[in-house]
Amino acid sequence: MNGVGFVWREAVAGLRRNVTMSVAMMLTTAISLGMLGAGLLAVRTIDRTQDLYYSQLAVQVALDEPTSAGDPDCSSPTCAALRGQLQSDPLVAGVTYESRDAAYQRFLRIYAGQSILQLVRPQSLPATLRVTLRDPTRGDAIVQEFSNRPGVRNVVDQRRLVEDLFTFLGSVRNAAFGLASVQALAALLLISNTIQVSAFTRRTEVGIMRLVGATRWYTQVPFLIEAVITGVVGAVLATGGLVLGKLFFIDRLLSGRLISNAIPAVGMSDVLLFVAPLLIVIGAVIAAATGYVTLRLYVRS
Amino acid sequence: MLRLENVTKIYPTSARPALDGVSMDVEAGEFVFLIGPSGSGKSTLLRLLLREEVPSGGSVYVANWNVARLPNRKVPKLRQRMGCVFQDFRLLPNRSVADNVAFALEVTGKSEHTIRTVVPEMLELVNLTGKADRMPAELSGGEAQRVAIARALANRPLVLLADEPTGNLDPETSDDIMLLLDRINRAGTTIVMATHDRQIVDAMRRRVVELHLGRLARDDARGVYGARR
Ligand SMILES: Nc1ncnc2c1ncn2[C@@H]1O[C@H](COP(=O)(O)OP(=O)(O)OP(=O)(O)O)[C@@H](O)[C@H]1O
Ligand SMILES: [Mg+2]
Repeated sequence: MNGVGFVWREAVAGLRRNVTMSVAMMLTTAISLGMLGAGLLAVRTIDRTQDLYYSQLAVQVALDEPTSAGDPDCSSPTCAALRGQLQSDPLVAGVTYESRDAAYQRFLRIYAGQSILQLVRPQSLPATLRVTLRDPTRGDAIVQEFSNRPGVRNVVDQRRLVEDLFTFLGSVRNAAFGLASVQALAALLLISNTIQVSAFTRRTEVGIMRLVGATRWYTQVPFLIEAVITGVVGAVLATGGLVLGKLFFIDRLLSGRLISNAIPAVGMSDVLLFVAPLLIVIGAVIAAATGYVTLRLYVRS
Repeated sequence: MLRLENVTKIYPTSARPALDGVSMDVEAGEFVFLIGPSGSGKSTLLRLLLREEVPSGGSVYVANWNVARLPNRKVPKLRQRMGCVFQDFRLLPNRSVADNVAFALEVTGKSEHTIRTVVPEMLELVNLTGKADRMPAELSGGEAQRVAIARALANRPLVLLADEPTGNLDPETSDDIMLLLDRINRAGTTIVMATHDRQIVDAMRRRVVELHLGRLARDDARGVYGARR
């Protein structure tokens, strides 16, 4: 098509004519899309973490001091009785026993080389019955039923503990989406305003175009392309920001020994293959829609 | 070629109609002067033909187009077949003479090849071949108007509408422009020209349509400007 070159040149000229505004527009768009991208990454991490955990989570029935002491295989009457009761419960899929010594060995492995080890003696750890459920959401019932049985110190539904983590990640996500939408509004207004200014600056030219019979392709599409370029450049900047954020913030945050076991890392492929294409499409579509509406409302065709 | 049937135009902000029941016919190849005192509706009539405005009543036809009923997306097609020039030239100040002419071709989707052949033809027609690379600020009024005429003709319009094309020019330069328009008309382009210039109208002895307060006051086949009031 003959007009492609023209439209492209006009759009680029439009962006260059008012560099300050173009840059502001791109940065605002970038921040908005970056927030959105961060939110999307949070969602993805939450999903992964949930998958990772929910398969492994159990209800832990910790035994009291007398029952825990010196029982490597749950052979004491109290422990055996509890195990029997749990195994016959219809909610329960399986029960495994971890003795006090086994718990201490695991503890040593996890915290190898850390000072917390000096504070912990085998005696401070209980023996536990790890109960996996047919329906992982029904931990409450086990907690209720077994908390006051003889030989039981307490019953902990691990899912409950992890829920706090998910609540936290969820609020990160919500905050990111919230900021993204406020920032998106700012970006929309800036794009709309820039198009109006751009159309005003070029009113003589556009007036002549209309007189000589130029179609809307020539009179309006340059402004749309201008907006779409902004959206796409914004998305690319946002992706760059997310990559930097991943390398210098998330990776460091998640590299701690404890937390790296708790939360799966955010992969570069998540940023580049999942989030970046989405941001580019969203940026382009939103910018184009804003441009279209602005031209309809404020600029004579 | 052009036909107005009982055309009325009432601008929302004004009490008196700008045009009031005007009917006229212009055949292909005619040269028509549109005269009348300031505010009589000359520019309004030209704007209706260009579909810059739509009539409040009556019909406007250009060639086979029912102009007022034309869907928006077909308006560019209409305008491509109508050239227009104005008192203030309306050249793009940041483009050279040749680029101003090329602009009309470029934004109506003509090929590079067409542009390269048509632009020099048009500049030759208006006698500006040597000034193709000048900027509009470096032109005299007469030259600027000739560039505007070249641009208006680049798409080979059926009709040339001229709204006081000599309004900003001294008499001698005006005569040059009229010679050019006459030549263009004789080559087949229909011309409708709104003007206040008594000498030009009297000298040309072409059809004269006079408006008065939006009404058709006179339509002479070979007219003069009329008695001094
Ligand atoms: N856009 C507009 N809105 C409202 N009224 C208008 C508009 N354009 C023209 N008019 C009115 O319509 C009437 C005719 O105006 P028009 O411009 O057609 O006159 P004209 O004959 O071209 O005058 P001139 O010789 O001064 O150019 C005038 O009364 C004018 O005030
Ligand atoms: Mg006028």
